[in-house]
Amino acid sequence: MAPNAAAEEEDAAELKLGPDFEKAKCLMNSEVAVILERKYEQIQQLPDPASQVSQVFEKSLQYVKRFSRYQNPNAVKQVREVLSRNQLAEFEVCVIGNLCPDTLEEAKALVPSLAKRSKSDDDEEDGITDEKIEQMLQDLATIKKFE
Amino acid sequence: MFFHIVLERKIQLHPRHFGPHLRDKLIEKVLQEVEGTCSGRHGFIVAVTNISDIGKGLIRDGTGFVTFPVKYDCVVFRPFRGEILESVVTMVNKMGFFAEAGPVQIFVSNHLIPDDMEFQSGDIPCYATSDGLVKIQKDSEVRLKIVGTRVDVSEIFCIGTIKDDFLGLIGDPTAGG
Repeated sequence: MAPNAAAEEEDAAELKLGPDFEKAKCLMNSEVAVILERKYEQIQQLPDPASQVSQVFEKSLQYVKRFSRYQNPNAVKQVREVLSRNQLAEFEVCVIGNLCPDTLEEAKALVPSLAKRSKSDDDEEDGITDEKIEQMLQDLATIKKFE
Repeated sequence: MFFHIVLERKIQLHPRHFGPHLRDKLIEKVLQEVEGTCSGRHGFIVAVTNISDIGKGLIRDGTGFVTFPVKYDCVVFRPFRGEILESVVTMVNKMGFFAEAGPVQIFVSNHLIPDDMEFQSGDIPCYATSDGLVKIQKDSEVRLKIVGTRVDVSEIFCIGTIKDDFLGLIGDPTAGG
């Protein structure tokens, strides 16, 4: 079956996400938290809130609340701006935004596709150098500090 | 990883709903039918955020039901092989431990736990290093890498590893924050 064959070739480390998700918009945990919380409030206004909330929704909401690094919606916006300045793939942006690596090595270990590209240093075409990554991590730390 | 994607679904509506509230009824039905479901292809549909398009309805022969193709934006959670994410441990036993990341269950076998960590039974079963500094037990937060996914009709299971650089325990409940 075709979907299974596609599943075999998926590998997030190489940014192979299959045809359905290649161009899809990724969301960071903090962004999902903003969306779900708003939706949760809306549901609470309805006459019968309990029946409207699925288990998947509830679990996801708990999860993103527990693991979102940035609480303030403005900070979340800034994080995305910083990350998207650097010609990263959507998926890479969100992995970094979710896990907040502290060091260059950590960032490269968590996002192998990043390490692969930054090897060909100075190559501005595909353009991400170690310095750029470090700068980016610093910017993120600053946002977190002043949130 | 969470994604925001556009999906389409054909919604069947009974003729008794045809009237000024047709659209509302359709939207309600979309939410009812898709939210909380899971497919191997798109993952878990967490929440519908917007109905982007409702197409022309088609009357079905014989029944009078009408099917409408409805396009909707939704937040989905779809785990990928090779993805690194954070999770909460739900159960620990000598085979390994189970963790949850949102709606998805992840199993980490004891072969994929670093060799310096050993299973310790007792009141609170856990995996711990011999010096006891690192301890993985229920409610621990663990960063892991997904090495495999298994797709059922209505559920996705993952196999994870913490045997790699920068993976493993994030916060321990006994460490006091």
